[in-house]
Amino acid sequence: MSLPPKARISGGDGCRPFPAKASPNRRRALLFIVAVPVLLGLSLLLGPSGIGLPDMTASSGQAIFSLRLGRFFMGMMVGAALSTSGTVFQAILRNPLAEPYVLGVSGGAGLGAALSILVGGGLLGAVGLPLTAFFFALLTLMAVYGIANQGGVPSVYSLILSGVIVSSICSSVIMFLVSTADIDGMHTVVWWMLGNLQPGSWAEQAVSLLIIVCAIVGLWLLAPALNVLTLGREMAHYQGLNAGVVTISSLLLATLLAATAVSMGGMIGFVGLIVPHVMRALFGPDHRWLVPASALGGGTFLVLCDSIARTVMAPIEIPVGVVTALAGGPFFLIVLRRKMKYAWID
Amino acid sequence: MPGSTDKQKPALAFRGVSAGYKGRPVLQEVDFSIAEGEFVSVIGPNGSGKSTMLKTATGLIKPAQGRVELFGREVSSLKARDRASLIGVVPQKLESPMAFTVAEIVMLGRSSRGGWGGADSKDYDSAERAMIYTNVFDLKDRLFNELSAGEQQRTALAMALAQEPRIIMLDESIAHLDINHSQEVLRILMNINREQKITVLLVSHDLNLAAQIADRLMLMDRGQLVCKGSPGEVMQEELLSRVYDCDLHVRRDPYSGNPVVSGALDMALRRTSVHKRLHVISGGGSGIELFRRLLIEGFDLSAGVLNRLDSDAEAARALDIACVLEQPFSAVGRQAFEEARSMVERADGVIVGLVPIGSGNLINLQLASDALKAGKPVWMAAGIADRDYTTDGAAGAMALQLRSAGAKEWSGIHELMALLKQDVSK
Repeated sequence: MSLPPKARISGGDGCRPFPAKASPNRRRALLFIVAVPVLLGLSLLLGPSGIGLPDMTASSGQAIFSLRLGRFFMGMMVGAALSTSGTVFQAILRNPLAEPYVLGVSGGAGLGAALSILVGGGLLGAVGLPLTAFFFALLTLMAVYGIANQGGVPSVYSLILSGVIVSSICSSVIMFLVSTADIDGMHTVVWWMLGNLQPGSWAEQAVSLLIIVCAIVGLWLLAPALNVLTLGREMAHYQGLNAGVVTISSLLLATLLAATAVSMGGMIGFVGLIVPHVMRALFGPDHRWLVPASALGGGTFLVLCDSIARTVMAPIEIPVGVVTALAGGPFFLIVLRRKMKYAWID
Repeated sequence: MPGSTDKQKPALAFRGVSAGYKGRPVLQEVDFSIAEGEFVSVIGPNGSGKSTMLKTATGLIKPAQGRVELFGREVSSLKARDRASLIGVVPQKLESPMAFTVAEIVMLGRSSRGGWGGADSKDYDSAERAMIYTNVFDLKDRLFNELSAGEQQRTALAMALAQEPRIIMLDESIAHLDINHSQEVLRILMNINREQKITVLLVSHDLNLAAQIADRLMLMDRGQLVCKGSPGEVMQEELLSRVYDCDLHVRRDPYSGNPVVSGALDMALRRTSVHKRLHVISGGGSGIELFRRLLIEGFDLSAGVLNRLDSDAEAARALDIACVLEQPFSAVGRQAFEEARSMVERADGVIVGLVPIGSGNLINLQLASDALKAGKPVWMAAGIADRDYTTDGAAGAMALQLRSAGAKEWSGIHELMALLKQDVSK
């Protein structure tokens, strides 16, 4: 096929040569890249022991710093996982409300993790907790999809409705488990459920890190396909995409991320829902930018919230989920009010 | 190279295809082939299987029976990327929930060509050409969602064009556009078809539009292909009325010669008959609005004498109005006049429209004069003298005579309606 010869375009105002936008708004990207390390550095200076770098010459200072570093990595991992997972769920389901919590995936993962804690998932070692969480998250996702599916492709509304239903069933079962558990188990589960970024064993962290990095890289590789999928599965088919394969593999990876995050940090809400929107508002909808930006943004956001959580009322530590919602909420709402049209259009 | 298929092979061929959804078969034994470069339109009522056929053609639905061939190769055996380089689809409405710009959307049309990083200069060139061709280049940095429906559809078309396909399928893609936008999209489609020899398959429920632009029509009904052929062959009153299960009329457009379908909605709008028959003297288009309004008011009508091919004659035929016709461009002859006179005898009154009077149709005014003599009312459009094209002012003189004999004059259709209401209700 030959299209007609390319039209000559004289350079002038408003006649930028195509492609005009090599990257989404450079200034915002630059600001983001500068802000992230600054905020991360700041978060290392905060802690219940006081603001500022601890005395590194003393062994107690070193211990404090390594504790902060541990929390820092936990926050990065969990935040990145939740936020990337939310980004992908939103793209695949083409719905701004989609995120691991709404779809029941987090609830399922929570149930799996609670079972694993109470019954003892020790037999599988470091992989036990994330694996059980993933398995249950997957089961929930399948249940949600199954309930929503009335022949053909389930509508987003039925998906979210059944997600909310399954999610509340899961939390009821968790409450039942908690109420029948012994006092030790109860304490562990409740503390874990509130959401906290206390690092687990090194082995656990290493496994989680591996899973999270692999899943995020996998999703990043799928980014161009995700872009096409936002136009709907039919359009993606017409564009030469194996829509079914891409949908399933990205849903699996997103579920894996959410499950790992839940198994590490418990139920931390808000990150998976709102960070993707803000990143979309700042960087546009191209997932080749959006996936890494969400991972970095989500991680930074959670690390910062965690620092605040353990500092403001020190020595009492507020659950980080409370801070994510209370501190992050208004800020993000302001951003979204101004930039919503670049994030999502209905 | 996916494009290197046999030139002789049809662009799209259905061979005994039955297909449908789980537990709901739609297409039954559909059989056709479309040659490369053709412009074919698929028509049929809602639920007749048009969209299912399109989905089957693109491999979205696998046929339960039969083969779907694209340039000689079975669709289901094509790799997804190869398929995308052969077919471009413009959906009913492209929906992008996220804030992509027009250029980004069009570049997605290149996604089956590029790797992860996407685009090289060839991709950008192709997308740019597609945007220029569909006249959306100026909109390239605008958000897709903020465009008008017509601009969105042109963008969707640009996206499909950027795939550089050999066949473009449109699924009722212009049905919801305003006439100016749909005309623009159609013009682009015709250009694509003529200049680039891209095969076009347009699924449409607008029969007239389909007949206007397509080389061939395929009429579907309840999952079956009931008729295929030139617009003239498919647009048959009887066939269409049966398929659409309602009363339809087909006539030729006087300007283009295309068959034009119209429903019998006018009949439904008519009030119940007032059991009064009026004879209308008109011509040259002066009668169309009269016919319509009088029918709506519930009068039975007759008309004439009119020349064949006159737009009033066409209107009378379309509206099923009894009408006396004379040969085109000829003066009204004796025989036609006698026929018209017998119509006037059966009528309860005569209306003279805003018709120009020349020597050829001067005799029509005699009908009005006869009616007056028989004691029937005549309502005459004012200002006949201004429309008098006879050499000796005979029409003007005749009008004076009619007025003195009791003909009432009206100017404007509202005045006529008021007069009728007053006189007829007596």
